Amino acid sequence: MRDGHVNLLCKIVAILVMIFLVAPLLIIIVVSFTPTAVITFPPQGFSLRWYANIFTGTGKFMSGLVNSLKVGVLATAIDVFVGVFGALSICRYNFKGKNVLLNYFTSPMYVPSIAFAFVLLQVYSQIGGITGMTRVFIGHLIIILPYIVRNTVSVLHVFNWTLEDAAASLGANPIQVFFKVTIPLAKPGIVSGGILAFLYSFDEVALSSLLSSPRFVTLPIRIMNYMELTFDPTLAAISTLLILASLIIIVLMDKFVGLDMFMK
Amino acid sequence: MATLALKNITKRFGDFTAVKDFNLTVEDGEMIALLGGSGCGKTTTLRMIAGFTEPTEGSIFVAGKEMGKIPPYKRNVGIFFQNYALFPHMTVFENVAFGLKLQKLPKAEIEQRVSEILNLVKLYGLEKRYPRELSGGQQQRVALARALVTRPSILLLDEPLSNLDAKLRVEMQVEIKRIQKELAITTIIVTHDHEEAVSLADRVIVMNAGQILQVGSPYEIFDKPNSEFIADFMGFSTFVKGTMGGEARDGKRPVTCSGKTILVSAEAAEGIEPGSSVTLATRSEHMELVKEAGENVVEGTMQAATYKGHTTRLEVAGCFDEVIYPAADEYIELEAGKPLLVHLPVDRLCVYKNNA
Repeated sequence: MRDGHVNLLCKIVAILVMIFLVAPLLIIIVVSFTPTAVITFPPQGFSLRWYANIFTGTGKFMSGLVNSLKVGVLATAIDVFVGVFGALSICRYNFKGKNVLLNYFTSPMYVPSIAFAFVLLQVYSQIGGITGMTRVFIGHLIIILPYIVRNTVSVLHVFNWTLEDAAASLGANPIQVFFKVTIPLAKPGIVSGGILAFLYSFDEVALSSLLSSPRFVTLPIRIMNYMELTFDPTLAAISTLLILASLIIIVLMDKFVGLDMFMK
Repeated sequence: MATLALKNITKRFGDFTAVKDFNLTVEDGEMIALLGGSGCGKTTTLRMIAGFTEPTEGSIFVAGKEMGKIPPYKRNVGIFFQNYALFPHMTVFENVAFGLKLQKLPKAEIEQRVSEILNLVKLYGLEKRYPRELSGGQQQRVALARALVTRPSILLLDEPLSNLDAKLRVEMQVEIKRIQKELAITTIIVTHDHEEAVSLADRVIVMNAGQILQVGSPYEIFDKPNSEFIADFMGFSTFVKGTMGGEARDGKRPVTCSGKTILVSAEAAEGIEPGSSVTLATRSEHMELVKEAGENVVEGTMQAATYKGHTTRLEVAGCFDEVIYPAADEYIELEAGKPLLVHLPVDRLCVYKNNA
């Protein structure tokens, strides 16, 4: 059977792709439990010493994590606000230059972040006296906005605006329409955009490495710096924790928003 | 429950006039249909009554009160939307209770009124379903329940039967009429379907290009359209040109069509001067096939036959310059060129004077 062969081939390719995607992650997780100072596979025994090293070692990972969370959460929160209103005004009203405005909102996505960081650096140095946190924060604020706008627009693009009329005819004033109908229905786009934006900020390297100051360093930069000096299984341990955190976010998202909402 | 009046309503969008000097008074509890093709201004009229768009000129009165700039959410106008516009993130109960919750009614009263209205539209027991879990007919009834539960003073129905299959249409026609009469609610239906209009409304208003062409009872509109345009829109199939003859005899007047004399009722031809160019119009089902020649019987040949279930629609040429389309009650096999005798009943012919 020809179809049978094709099917088998598809299966083999699919399995290979999955191995290719997952295997490195599995190796990192396994290696993180090694007791030896050199990364070996398979590990010779079991130990949590590299996990302990994350908190006690020279890497200052915890301060990096706090900095990354500060910047990521704050930038995402502000951008959700800005992005949702931007997306709403683009989708709701018909006006000239609608697409221009959408492209303007999403343009940071197309500019190489290193080039953008360079420009920002020039601006900062002209003004002077801006702290590392503010420098990184403003950079992230700009580069993650497209993810929120794009995702919200993609939901609003197929939004049935008659629903707003229906709510109004039932006695809902514009504010009630917004919070009871528009926002709940745009939620999948807003949440997925927000999560993407946060994750982008959380592992952003190029921009942060140029803009951060010695007193304000984000987690990815800490990891990079550590990697340059020491190459021990601490990195595997911290990677494992980050993978775990991502998994938790996905599970929570599924529970509170429902991943099936993204498939409709 | 209230009267509705539209006085000299005009709506312009830029250079385009969607509704032109529209006047209408609707009695308390009356059901009116606005009938017309797409772009005739019927939906714009509906949106103005609802308050979604403001008239450029003129005013709208509900129960004698001018609506002016009153926003939609303060108008107490219930709307049934063509695509139902059910909130997809809410259950049937939440959809129907939406308006009541905004009125901040006590929970017990909300529950009672929702269950009452769901009984009325025969949806009891489906409260916990989401709209996507319902059939089209059920969704439609949820939309109707949601529009009615707040006890609006005016109910607006936008193409209420357009998305349903034939069987459900008949069912919903009966339902809507029953519920409307039971609640005695002033209702406006907007539709492009003449059957929907005549089967639901107490009064039908035919619109074209933003203006009213004819106002009348469903029977008047359906059987005695006052222009060729409306006749065409109301499903008249056969149009024959002719010249009006002289004086009435026995209440009938002759019309010469393609050299043949066809009698029409003097009533239908009232006010048309002899010698005027006219068009005769009739429906397929009003013409009949006969065996013998006689008054208003013309001979032609069969060109085509389309079997439609309960009738066969024929195309007959040769009687006049125009082809006529009689319908027969039985199944008729196509025999191209077969001679046929067709009777055009005198009192079923509408006569329209042609403009020079």
